Amino acid sequence: MSAPRELVILGRDAPVWLAANVMQSALGPAGVRVTVIELPGLSGPADVYATLPALEPLHRRLRIDENRLLAATRGAFTLGMNFIDATRQAPAFFHAYGSTGARIDNVEFLPHWLKARQHGLPVAFEDFCLTAAAAKHGRMLVPDPDIERHGFTDYGYHLPAIPYAAWLKQRALRAGVEVVAARAAHALRDESTGDLVAIAADDERRITGDFFIDATGSDALLMNALGVARDSWRDAFPADRLLVAHAAPLPAPPAYADVRHGESGWVALHPSQVCTHVIHAYSSETSDERALANATQLAGLELQGAQVRRRAPGLRASAWQGNCVAIGAAACDFDALHGADLQAVQIGLVHLLPLFPVAAGCAVERSEYNKNVRAAFERIRDFQSAHYALNRYGGAFWSRARLTPLSAELVRKIGVFRARGDLVHYEDESFDIADWQSLLLGHGVMPETWDPAADRTPPEVVKGELLRILGFIRQKVESQRPHAQFLSNRS
Amino acid sequence: MAPPPLQLVIVGGGSAGWMCAAACAQLLHPARYTVTLIESDDIGTVGVGEATLPALRDFNELLKIDEAQFMRETQGTFKLGIEFRDWDWPGEHYVHPFGSFGLLWGGVEFQHHWVRARQRGLNPAPLEDYSCAVRACRRNAFEFPDFKNPRSTFFGYAYHFDASLYADFLRRWSIARGVRRIEGQAVDVALHGETGEITGLTLKSGQKIDGDFFVDCSGFRSLLLGDTLGSPWEDWSHWLPCDRAWAVPCERSADFTPFTRSIAKKGGWIWRIPLQHRTGNGHVFSTRFVSEDEARATLLGQLDAPALMEPKLLRFKAGRRAQAWKRNCVGLGLASGFLEPLESTSLFLIQKGIQDLLRLLPAPETGSRSDERLSGEYNRLSDEIYERIRDFLILHYAANRRHGEPLWDHVRSYELPESLRHKLALFESRGHVPYFKDGFFSRDSWLAVLFGQGLMPKRYDRLADLLPVDELAAKLHELHARIATQVDGMPTHADVIARHCGTGAALRQVGT
Repeated sequence: MSAPRELVILGRDAPVWLAANVMQSALGPAGVRVTVIELPGLSGPADVYATLPALEPLHRRLRIDENRLLAATRGAFTLGMNFIDATRQAPAFFHAYGSTGARIDNVEFLPHWLKARQHGLPVAFEDFCLTAAAAKHGRMLVPDPDIERHGFTDYGYHLPAIPYAAWLKQRALRAGVEVVAARAAHALRDESTGDLVAIAADDERRITGDFFIDATGSDALLMNALGVARDSWRDAFPADRLLVAHAAPLPAPPAYADVRHGESGWVALHPSQVCTHVIHAYSSETSDERALANATQLAGLELQGAQVRRRAPGLRASAWQGNCVAIGAAACDFDALHGADLQAVQIGLVHLLPLFPVAAGCAVERSEYNKNVRAAFERIRDFQSAHYALNRYGGAFWSRARLTPLSAELVRKIGVFRARGDLVHYEDESFDIADWQSLLLGHGVMPETWDPAADRTPPEVVKGELLRILGFIRQKVESQRPHAQFLSNRS
Repeated sequence: MAPPPLQLVIVGGGSAGWMCAAACAQLLHPARYTVTLIESDDIGTVGVGEATLPALRDFNELLKIDEAQFMRETQGTFKLGIEFRDWDWPGEHYVHPFGSFGLLWGGVEFQHHWVRARQRGLNPAPLEDYSCAVRACRRNAFEFPDFKNPRSTFFGYAYHFDASLYADFLRRWSIARGVRRIEGQAVDVALHGETGEITGLTLKSGQKIDGDFFVDCSGFRSLLLGDTLGSPWEDWSHWLPCDRAWAVPCERSADFTPFTRSIAKKGGWIWRIPLQHRTGNGHVFSTRFVSEDEARATLLGQLDAPALMEPKLLRFKAGRRAQAWKRNCVGLGLASGFLEPLESTSLFLIQKGIQDLLRLLPAPETGSRSDERLSGEYNRLSDEIYERIRDFLILHYAANRRHGEPLWDHVRSYELPESLRHKLALFESRGHVPYFKDGFFSRDSWLAVLFGQGLMPKRYDRLADLLPVDELAAKLHELHARIATQVDGMPTHADVIARHCGTGAALRQVGT
């Protein structure tokens, strides 16, 4: 056998179609034929992809026009996540997709802020974040040259799941991807090599291929057929149930997700142009009826179409096994917070492209892929673990969350941050230094000391800069359009 | 109330000690840290040419050192890369440039396009012809790169200079900025009874120096980190068997290269570093495979101009201290480890150590001077960089075809570190080189040495097929011509040096 020429992608919903678009555009010209076997979708009208900023560059690589995407899906922008404590134990914080402050005297902002705080500065760290300020004022933020010089700012989307998948599907078909619809499917293996040779759709059609992608989400049909083991992360994450529902659109939908922490879990509100998508993560110790009541109360909205799903975070021992690569939840199931679901799909695809087999044997590519993808997944898990482990919220759910076991990498990261305010940033991090700063400071991890380089700058210079930054933020926020107006003016 | 300043004590002058002192003087507030450096005039440094990496420019920038002045005072020259002669096979040579080969086309790295062009019979020029830096090296030419808008392929540059003049330069610079220098030799180290931290030193003269935090720059002696605190030595000589070097300067010759030269020999390799006033030479070798006398003769036979003094012998061993930061002491330079100067990493490792240390240095407020959260992170970073450089150095030896020569047969036959074996397999399969966020050594550097040592990927990334073949041929042709035009227009290295920083120009006073 030579390099694969017949790629078969089995799956459903947006992951399968994102995979089809990426693989077709990259490998179609190299003579790889892409076939999708599409299983019935599980997304409902309440489902939304809350995406991280990394999706936009992938879209751009696929030549996806953002205006058309948002028009077709009626999605919205998000500048970050607002974390609120409904149990009234901890202050709120905003995790923005942008930098905070600006370098002063060639030294990072955080050490200057830490020192100023020590000397009585009463302004919170996130108040120096332009992206957070714009979001909290209901604005969208569009960078101009001044803003780009000041720091970086980015955004994700809230994409309603059904129209997003439909739109990606249309594009894939136009690009030449073949599709076979199936109600069910199972894998057929070569007895001698153990590799997959075909997929039987509805027990009647055999779709043969020489390379396969498992995009079947948590079902992980192909991974299970190949007998790939899975490590459960159940101990690390207290929520094993997820309720999704929708509510009427907000009159002025903000460009962020609002995450509200109650005694038995959290509720997130994701505005789109269609509706307000609400999800509630909780433990099965709480009944589903009770959970719906809790979600309704925390959201403060009338919820419709509520559905409950099991959630079981965990990681496959290897995402690439034989001639099959699992992407998204088939490779790694995350906790529902932080929009990691689509990021897991993207990680799987982006790492696969430069390692896609060029010959029959691909053991070295496989081991490189599995090593990097595992590291990327584990760093996301660390980010989520930190949110649970460091929480100060009230209630048994959150008390148990504080006992979450932490990886050695995360222990080091929190330790170094607490000691010095410096962030250990490993290879393959999906979350940036700015993301980690928001998270750790937001949960009250206050560094004991700061980078000594900040001590060189005279206090009056720092004070002047702090005032200048606040003024700049105020001025820039005022000149931004409200999110709703920004959305409706795009065509 | 403000706490008293933390007293930093640096033990040992030389490049490591004075680079550290200079960075402390520039970046730390004198009311929070005092800096004392102890050095002895009796311990001479070897005045050989030192070759560096482009990162040193960042260090100079951090210190706000004027490039032309620095080069004048250290007899400095420019460096675009390293030429390796006879490494793969006698008569073969290649350049590891500080720059890229070709361009990214369609988001796909150049080596894939180049391998594809070969396999599709387009007869592309040799890979090195697609590097502006390599072609400049071939003509002994130099120009300052335009980092933002390179005219053809990207390149950076580093320096060659006289290491003892560099230490002198930084000494004057640091003292002018408040570093206290104490002449003397430490003979005794006092430890705290309970914590085991270093509390002070006694000099030969009997003078006592107290301190809160100590930087060991005592060279191979590793007086504090090794001798006193017992940070264990991790021996890497089974991979890197060279254990001696003869060093000798000779007169400047007509061959004024903008690159370091490294020539493989029976028992090791010879370096050649052009400075403004003379050329630095040395022979790194393994006593397992060649005698000291024979190596000395080999070195002298290789000089292209009369020697200026008797060769000096240096003894070393490849390896490092398992903990570069232990308790309240960090080792820099030879006190923390040694990797042969094959890729000019000595000053880079010092610089990296200093920059990490200054970020993680204990604060005057904290009672303990040995916070394991900070030292643990420092040591993690140190492990990572040492191991990456180690693998890169081993690659030069392991991928050779000098059959029948005992040293070269030996280095071809031993078991490689798993991390390196994996990299070689990936490259051989498809020309893929993993990317590191911290970028060291960069992908381009790995490619230069992998291809340079005669390895060739069997296949290429399929994403390269995106480009139609005739378009690929046209692009290769155009790039080749563009690089040639750029390099043809470059002045010679000698001209640029004379204009920019020739030592004929009047010296400005340092430290003013």
